[in-house]
Amino acid sequence: MYVREAHPTDEWQMKSNVKDDVCYAQPKNLEQRVAIANDFVKRFQFPLPFGIDDMNNRANDAYAAWPERLYIVDERGRVVYRGGMGPFNYHPAEVREWLAAKFGAVERPKEPGATPSSTTPDGETKKPAV
Amino acid sequence: MKRKMWIWIAAGFGGLLLLVFIALSVLAGSPKDAYGMVRYALPHMHRGNLRVGDEAPDARVLALDGTQRFHIRERLNQRPLVLVFGSFT
Repeated sequence: MYVREAHPTDEWQMKSNVKDDVCYAQPKNLEQRVAIANDFVKRFQFPLPFGIDDMNNRANDAYAAWPERLYIVDERGRVVYRGGMGPFNYHPAEVREWLAAKFGAVERPKEPGATPSSTTPDGETKKPAV
Repeated sequence: MKRKMWIWIAAGFGGLLLLVFIALSVLAGSPKDAYGMVRYALPHMHRGNLRVGDEAPDARVLALDGTQRFHIRERLNQRPLVLVFGSFT
């Protein structure tokens, strides 16, 4: 879920943004958000479904998401994991652990774009929904 | 006497502010980053009220193609849903 930029050029830009050539101004409209989100997906060959928050930041406000945060919502629509506020408390390993407990150990894909597969303790192969 | 006391209070307050700014600069990496943190980051950082066990809130978001929209909860499909929030920068 794409939310407002954390370190745009016209706000608090970091040296690492310049070094990594990730220099964008804070989007002023939805078209600019869509363009940046597409740049991100293209650059990292991001394989997962993608959503872009609207300019009213509804998703961001509902989930206190900025600058980055992880959640897991279970099948019944309940929050079962709420990660800490990034970047210092952003721990993807905790999500991986939750998924491993539910679906079995996740084998990380070697190539970008590959879908991870997992094996449950009973030997059944599953693909987690992300 | 009173004037002297106010000068000491103002100096103490100024010194405290300076110490806080220095501490923030060390934490953030530089005085520029400390300013950036206070001016741009702190107003947008919220702990939020959402807790584990709560009903996941819904929001309508835009797909990558820039035209289609969908509700976050539509993606549940009777499986757990991992939500990764972030931006490019």
